[in-house]
Amino acid sequence: MEIRVGETYFQRLIIFYIPLFMFLVAMLFPFYWMLITSIKPDAELYNVRSIPFLVKEPTLEHWKFLFQETLFGRWALNTLWIATATTVVSLICGVCAAYALSRLRFFGSTTIGVSIFVTYLVPPTLLFIPLSQVIANFPLFNLYDTPWSLILTYPTLLVPFSTWLLMGYFKTIPKELEECARIDGASRIQAMIRIVLPLAAPGILSAAIFSFTLAWNEFLYALVFLSSPLQKTIPVGVVSELIKGDVFFWGALMAGALFGSVPVAIVYSFFVEHYVSGIAGAVKG
Amino acid sequence: MDKQTETTKVAWQPGMSRREFIKTTSGLAVAAGAGWGMFGQAPAFAQERELHILEWSSFVKPADVETDRQAAEFGKQEGIKVRVEHINANDLNARATAAVESGAGPDLIRLLGNQPHVYAKGLIDHGDLIQEVGGETIWPSLRDGVNVNGVYRGVPYFFGGGAYVYRRDLFDEAKVGPPQTWDQFMDVGKKVKDLGYPIGQSLGHSFGDPPGFCYTLLWSFGGSLIDKNAKVSIDSQATRDSIKYLAEFWKSACDESGLAWDDTSNNRAFLGETISCTLNGASIYFVAKQNWEKKQDPFVKQLDHFLSPEGPAGRFHTISGQNSCIMTHSKVQSAAKNYIRFIHKEENFEKFFVINNGYIIGVVPKWREHDLWSRDPALTPYRDLGTYGQHIGYPGPYDRRSQEVFAKYIIVDLYARAVKGESPDSVIKWAESELKNIYS
Repeated sequence: MEIRVGETYFQRLIIFYIPLFMFLVAMLFPFYWMLITSIKPDAELYNVRSIPFLVKEPTLEHWKFLFQETLFGRWALNTLWIATATTVVSLICGVCAAYALSRLRFFGSTTIGVSIFVTYLVPPTLLFIPLSQVIANFPLFNLYDTPWSLILTYPTLLVPFSTWLLMGYFKTIPKELEECARIDGASRIQAMIRIVLPLAAPGILSAAIFSFTLAWNEFLYALVFLSSPLQKTIPVGVVSELIKGDVFFWGALMAGALFGSVPVAIVYSFFVEHYVSGIAGAVKG
Repeated sequence: MDKQTETTKVAWQPGMSRREFIKTTSGLAVAAGAGWGMFGQAPAFAQERELHILEWSSFVKPADVETDRQAAEFGKQEGIKVRVEHINANDLNARATAAVESGAGPDLIRLLGNQPHVYAKGLIDHGDLIQEVGGETIWPSLRDGVNVNGVYRGVPYFFGGGAYVYRRDLFDEAKVGPPQTWDQFMDVGKKVKDLGYPIGQSLGHSFGDPPGFCYTLLWSFGGSLIDKNAKVSIDSQATRDSIKYLAEFWKSACDESGLAWDDTSNNRAFLGETISCTLNGASIYFVAKQNWEKKQDPFVKQLDHFLSPEGPAGRFHTISGQNSCIMTHSKVQSAAKNYIRFIHKEENFEKFFVINNGYIIGVVPKWREHDLWSRDPALTPYRDLGTYGQHIGYPGPYDRRSQEVFAKYIIVDLYARAVKGESPDSVIKWAESELKNIYS
């Protein structure tokens, strides 16, 4: 246990380690609860007299039901593909918009910037009706009930936030760095890709994580634009198959929720180190 | 490449860096998905004829299987591909709204209750089908659910409702039997609560059990939210009597945590053996049979049902139909109509009815006479729901306003606020102003 000069072990314990432990318990408890529920047989789940935090006769029947009796595996692949593609589309649009608004001077740039941010304030539940008309009437290709109906509509929610976030990052990068690159012969796009984007990596990562998480968890648009069981995503598929009237298949629901949380947790653990070091090692001079 | 560039080359490291991994997998994923997404779905002009049906996901899984089987059989006869989609009942509204407003989506949606009134502009006239299915013999409450200003915007397929499921062993221990009147129910409730197994009733915001209880309580005492001319009539002695009754019943007989319950909570409480009786559809009974019987637990053999108690104005139940509604945007309306005819054929509906094992009831009275009701005596009370059943607009019209009152849980909050201690005059005044806003 590390302690600082003038600080006792007891003080460190009270001020730091105990609050940290409590925070960890609060953050990790939902995962523990999902895991416990997913391996408890139904009789134990409904037995209110048993200790809820322990399981006496663990079983894999809920996991087997999830993967064998439903299309959960397919839903997971659908969700991964849609979330990844949406993130890529949103980042490309967000980076270009943010760069233009923060670096270029053109008539109406301030108005456009504010407008982009204001669109973020429109609740998605208001947009699903006009968007369903757009999807239904899309020329040439029928987007309804395909992953592209989501890949093209999720950016309406994600691009405004990504643009706003990245504008802030781009503004902190000195223009002189780009100007040096341009003096050396780089085009504007080359300067953007080779100078600005690497320095804005923490912001791009933040926007990517936000986009991926939101696309992964989104429910309403996935419910409205997808109908075939093979096309559904985890949030919609799990609710359709595991909630029937007033009967909730709690074990399988928790198994699905736990499995659905894992990729997002992996994404966060993959990038958090890079993100934090990017913040800590801010642009110098 | 000059010397300066060469010296800046990084020494090769084994394995793949995080950046390279992400670049490679992202590129592959985008390429694969582009091919899959773009060419997995045929262009709009090349798709075959398809009848897309959207309905709820029933907890009686064999019922969904039978629905799909009948749809496939119909498809073969009609020469059309039929696709049945099952979703959570709570999500039907969002899908129906999107379908009506966008003019695209399912061809036939199984709308609940009087939702056809809400989505009338997107539904065709089903007048010819109504006559074929039963016409005037269809239970009036169900007909009202699809009759929008004289035009039938759907065809009732079946209906369901709630009855009280109870533990015979606990009632025997308390030396009580299934009550016939509310006063008897009060006596039963006090005795089973003294045993440690109170009555469980939800007064939270969910669309099944709470309004199912509240409407029947109010009607059986002779009260109503509106009269037959849609004039607000909540302020009455009958309403005050029902509130007074419930306030005492709640404290002396019920699990008082029911204020926070939803439709699933009483299921959990009953199957967790903390309550002895609750109002519910037959789902508790079915789940108990499915899970507990496997382990030869005698629990399921102790389950039985009784109808809603009688009050001074009689016995009432709330019933809600599921209605087959063809959308105006459907390009296969003729096939959709034939599908409705197919599922209503006696031999086909009987298969569906028997598989549901009493959870659903046919829309015409003759299904009360089916021998299914004598096969499992525990489910027999459900047979009479049609006789005592009323829609949520009773005794007024079953229209958008009654649906708005239902969706805002006005009657549930009326009773919830009363059992929390608010005076009857105060809660009635509040409910009256809310109702007048809707019915003005």
